[in-house]
Amino acid sequence: MGEVIVITSGKGGVGKTTTTANIGIGLSSLGKKVIVIDTDLGLRNLDVVMGLENRIVYNIVDVIEGSCRLKQALIRDKRFPELYLLPSAQTKDKSSVSPEQMKKLVEDIKEEFDFVLLDCPAGIEQGFQNAIAGAERSIVVTTPEVSAIRDADRIIGLLEASGIRRNHLLINRLRVDMVRRGDMMSVEDVTEILAVELLGVIPDDEQVVIATNQGEPVVGEDCPAGRAYINICRRLMGEDIPVEDYSKPEGIFEKISSLFHRN
Amino acid sequence: MSVHSVSVAKERLKNLLISDRIQCAPDAVDRLSNDLYHTISKYMEIRRENFDITVTRTDIHIKYMGEKN
Repeated sequence: MGEVIVITSGKGGVGKTTTTANIGIGLSSLGKKVIVIDTDLGLRNLDVVMGLENRIVYNIVDVIEGSCRLKQALIRDKRFPELYLLPSAQTKDKSSVSPEQMKKLVEDIKEEFDFVLLDCPAGIEQGFQNAIAGAERSIVVTTPEVSAIRDADRIIGLLEASGIRRNHLLINRLRVDMVRRGDMMSVEDVTEILAVELLGVIPDDEQVVIATNQGEPVVGEDCPAGRAYINICRRLMGEDIPVEDYSKPEGIFEKISSLFHRN
Repeated sequence: MSVHSVSVAKERLKNLLISDRIQCAPDAVDRLSNDLYHTISKYMEIRRENFDITVTRTDIHIKYMGEKN
């Protein structure tokens, strides 16, 4: 019986879809059987981020309406051991699916997987209600910005009101250099404000953009974001891995070079 | 010396979240804080600079540092 996790944020553009893709791929590479579900009806994107956009035949609305069987709509990502995508519909709108239908679908699906990841649309309207309907826990994605944190706080309140009490925070796109000079909120600043447990921090890393351009994952790659994502996957699997400390003093190289640049 | 922008961000965010959480106008929080300060000052000696309130979704915390500092 799988764990059902919704990846949500309130605000758009903070990295929900990229996070869903990379956590899904990471868990799969660690030997788990994973399905990622795009619940953003009308704005299908998870397939593109994963590089699977050319393989879509049926979508989530077809499955819910009974136009096809679940197995026909699932896209198996052959690059990874056991990873499946249930794509969203590009031509339907949010109202073509109800929370009850989503809940039923997720309940049927979770029997066969270790992890069910639901990529939630931005906003707090019906798309959000659909995405969280079948979820047992959440990953709330935010960036260290006032607007994103404000929305994350609202989302956490709504999740709790819907009975989802296991909510974890993922801080995305942290600029370590800016935190050091006092121009970006630190991990501590954010966790102090949002009273939920921290799942992980993804440092701002151009490799994420490069990988996404190519429809490739960054998780597990030898770069800061790749390492941070794989650690998040291990934490989700119950391993006790401390969150990387991005506030620690600069490395020796930076120290020496700053000595020369002083004054 | 310029003020680091983080302190501005934190202050703005703090005010936003309080008004979001108790669903009131931002200045209502200041009035609530003032009223609580005056109420408490009737019973114990407190100073404005040592008094602070925090509002979360479930609690209102009143923080004050007494005579010790």
